Amino acid sequence: MTSRGTASRFLKSVLQNGVGRYVCQLKRVSIRFSKKGQSSLGVREFIEEGVVDYAKSNPSTVVYVSPQPCRVPKIVAEYLNGNVREEIVTGKTSPQISELLTKLTDQSGLDIIRIRKPFHTDSPSIQGQWHPFTNRPPSVGPIGPQKQHAE
Amino acid sequence: MFLVGPFTRLHAVSVANMASGYILNRGVLTLGIHCQRVCRNVSLSQVREKKRWMKAYTYLMAKKLKLEGPPPPNPRSQQPHWDHHAEVQAFSSRLHENFSLEVLKTAFINPCYLQAEHKRRQGLGVGAESTALALEDNVQLSEKGASFTRSFLTDWCRASFPILPSDGVESVVRHLASTGVVTYVARNLGVGDLAMSAECPVPDDVLHSTFMAVVGALLESSGAEKTGLFLRDFLGPQLIGKDLFDMWKVVNPMGLLVEELTERNVPLPEPRLIRAAGASTVLPLYFVGLYSNQKLLAQGPGETLAAAEEEAARVALRILYGYTENRRPLDFSPLQQHQQPLNQSISSN
Repeated sequence: MTSRGTASRFLKSVLQNGVGRYVCQLKRVSIRFSKKGQSSLGVREFIEEGVVDYAKSNPSTVVYVSPQPCRVPKIVAEYLNGNVREEIVTGKTSPQISELLTKLTDQSGLDIIRIRKPFHTDSPSIQGQWHPFTNRPPSVGPIGPQKQHAE
Repeated sequence: MFLVGPFTRLHAVSVANMASGYILNRGVLTLGIHCQRVCRNVSLSQVREKKRWMKAYTYLMAKKLKLEGPPPPNPRSQQPHWDHHAEVQAFSSRLHENFSLEVLKTAFINPCYLQAEHKRRQGLGVGAESTALALEDNVQLSEKGASFTRSFLTDWCRASFPILPSDGVESVVRHLASTGVVTYVARNLGVGDLAMSAECPVPDDVLHSTFMAVVGALLESSGAEKTGLFLRDFLGPQLIGKDLFDMWKVVNPMGLLVEELTERNVPLPEPRLIRAAGASTVLPLYFVGLYSNQKLLAQGPGETLAAAEEEAARVALRILYGYTENRRPLDFSPLQQHQQPLNQSISSN
């Protein structure tokens, strides 16, 4: 679909994160995998080696690990602004899954849709936004081209 | 009614399977039915083809949703994957603060939750003594937190905007500590999940008092300085992008400006029409400038002359109080706690 037909948003941060102190936006990660299925092989390896290191290095995220009989292993990430993101990790290897978790940790929870402008500022103008009356001598009459003085 | 009909056909086929050992269900090739043996006498059958009852079922459920509305929200603590202790610890480390966990857990317990739990236990008919809730509520912590917030924010506003009069400082503080701003901050920090209350989603005033209780808990655990930094880092940025007169309702800006100028012994402002455009159209534009002693204080636009004069007075007040858009940004730098020991600087030579 075109960019007009799909959702879009402006560049922003949740609660002006980073201005005061940086708060990791990922609050909860639930890893659902199967104990015996082949698609969860990478997840099982990750849980054997990498998940404890990840949890120790990110004390602000709670990691829930739930082995269930399922065909499709999933990672569900919940963010502070309420958004929930599900990632399907069938057939991924353990390093790929730890990369994915790092990516999820670094994201803010805002939607992954087209960002209209790659910049945002709360103080757009220092000297004052230009309007058609800036740098014009005051006059009450009708607006017209300014008289250029002969130089 | 819709759902019984198609199923009778399946039951008839799977019952015939019981006597056979490894013979497949005879419906596999003709009807596309897959039989999964659970044990010797029981088998579950599934239809892989297009299910004739699906459309009717979907429409029925959509109609039910339209009639009854969406299902009531469930608090996160009652959904799967929740460990209260771990969540409280994570909350504490997420904010880079050292809370004492017992005080923090008390801060999340609201009196409405205790009452609801008490009623529920009475309703279950269990003896009141054996199931008495040994939990305290957060009312005292909340009061402490609220009073500390107000006093700290007043001091901080006075320090950041030294020229702003006390009315203005009060309005700014009232805005920052108001239910709207505090609940927005609290929901985006995860307090909404942890707060225990009778209703879900947590109502605004309950969330406000829970956040204040968290502030009170931080005050007890870490002291006033750290709590002050916490408030500055989370409530302070809510001032970014806000205009002074959004928060401070001034009814007569011209009168206030005249008072301010008389206090500073500056001659009183005279309004003059600087620019006019489109006077006879639907959207006229007038620029009125305020001159004091023939020097321009401020100019402001408006649709009518009176509106333009009021706007010019507001612009003049903003310049006077130092609350313009292009002022120096507020200081959110972390406190420099460590001082370079002298030995290091010598050895690095």
